Amino acid sequence: MAEEKLIIKDKNDDGIDRAGFIKCMAWAGTGILWMMSGGVLKSFGLSQMIDKTTGGLKKGLVIPASDFSFVQISDSHIGFNKAANPDVVGTLQAAVEKINSMPTAPSFILHTGDLSHLAQADEFDTLDQVLKTAKSEKVFYVPGEHDVLNGNNKEFLARYGKGTKGDGWYSFDSNGVHLIGLVNVVNTAEGGLGVLGNDQLQWLEDDLKGLSNSTAIVVFAHIPLWAIYPQWGWGTRDSAQALSYLKRFGSVTVLNGHIHQTMQKVEGNITFHTATSTAFPQPQPGMAPAPGPMKVPAEKLRGLLGLTSVHYMEHDHTLAITDTPLAETAEKVGQ
Amino acid sequence: MEVRRKVIVITGLYISFTAAVAAIKPGNVPVPEFKNLKVLPKNISSKELSKIMVDEFQDDLGVSCNFCHAENKDSHRPDYASDEKPEKQIARYMMRMTIGINKKYFKLRHPMIGDSTLAITCATCHNGSPHPENMGTK
Repeated sequence: MAEEKLIIKDKNDDGIDRAGFIKCMAWAGTGILWMMSGGVLKSFGLSQMIDKTTGGLKKGLVIPASDFSFVQISDSHIGFNKAANPDVVGTLQAAVEKINSMPTAPSFILHTGDLSHLAQADEFDTLDQVLKTAKSEKVFYVPGEHDVLNGNNKEFLARYGKGTKGDGWYSFDSNGVHLIGLVNVVNTAEGGLGVLGNDQLQWLEDDLKGLSNSTAIVVFAHIPLWAIYPQWGWGTRDSAQALSYLKRFGSVTVLNGHIHQTMQKVEGNITFHTATSTAFPQPQPGMAPAPGPMKVPAEKLRGLLGLTSVHYMEHDHTLAITDTPLAETAEKVGQ
Repeated sequence: MEVRRKVIVITGLYISFTAAVAAIKPGNVPVPEFKNLKVLPKNISSKELSKIMVDEFQDDLGVSCNFCHAENKDSHRPDYASDEKPEKQIARYMMRMTIGINKKYFKLRHPMIGDSTLAITCATCHNGSPHPENMGTK
């Protein structure tokens, strides 16, 4: 994509116009396709799968065989209108268009929180309208801290919490996989860390009791359940207890949002993965005074939204983005 | 005819008066949604308050709720009305200072935190850091 085709009306002299921004978001990555095969989840950035000129699947792309697939999107922040992205509805729609371009509709969509920016009814309405156009049977949600602002999670629960427990946690089974939606944004700890709380931990322990060790488990929550950067609240205070309940299972995948960038870590049987936002990027851990919406030139979006590797060292742990581009995978499959 | 007109006028006045009294009876006065607001307007809407908390504090200072708000010991949730944490009082002081600067030096008539017309905002000094003095200058 030639840069001169992107920036047409640069009113603010910041290298970004609306059309250019949306075009860049189209190749920058706004959703992740998860495929389950033999109890192992594999992730693919939707951007690598879609031909940006035709809007369809890239020519010659071979989709690996899978038992079923689902898509994770996150941090849509409907209602946000600052310079980092003045059109969050447009970029969410772009993500939905990518989902709808998949050759096989995903079984369901997981939204890992921050649907709204200010937890307002009209913001949730807008999100619902956009996601109604997605070709998928169902959308499952967990709240982000923006969905429960000022201690009010009633709006979220009324819309998305039917049949859930406590502050909205729940589990369900699909194609032999046990999926668990956790809520770690209602009680937050010092520094903005997530908290699951004793009631939810007790429920989780009970929920897992009847499952065999060979059951594939997918856990999804908003704030990461691994300590990515606790100084910015990018972790969950009592996640260790939750993870201890999951140790006996052979395949566990933990999906989160919140940090607006893709990171992945494998620790024993557990694969941790955070998703990009459909709204705006955030700085890499420790690379800014604090987390928050990051205004970037259009040509830098691709790097900052998680398509290239992020290397970060903390406490001798290396974190890296390891989403596998489907094109690359398809070539390997074909070898 | 004259008497009938007087009766109509008096009845009309009575109905208007009764309606006015009913409108200001305690039960009909809108109850503020949020407690212990001392700088922000007591009748602020949920959307306005949320926007200030997100834009001015979360984004401009890079902090989350419990930077200023104490935790309720029983529910372990933020106790938004509590003044237990000194940071909350400092935040009030800072908001008053910001309003004062906009009023005194930029001649804004009724400046309020969150207004898009403010010349000086939290971000002017904080720029994403809870402690501007720690941002360092090279």
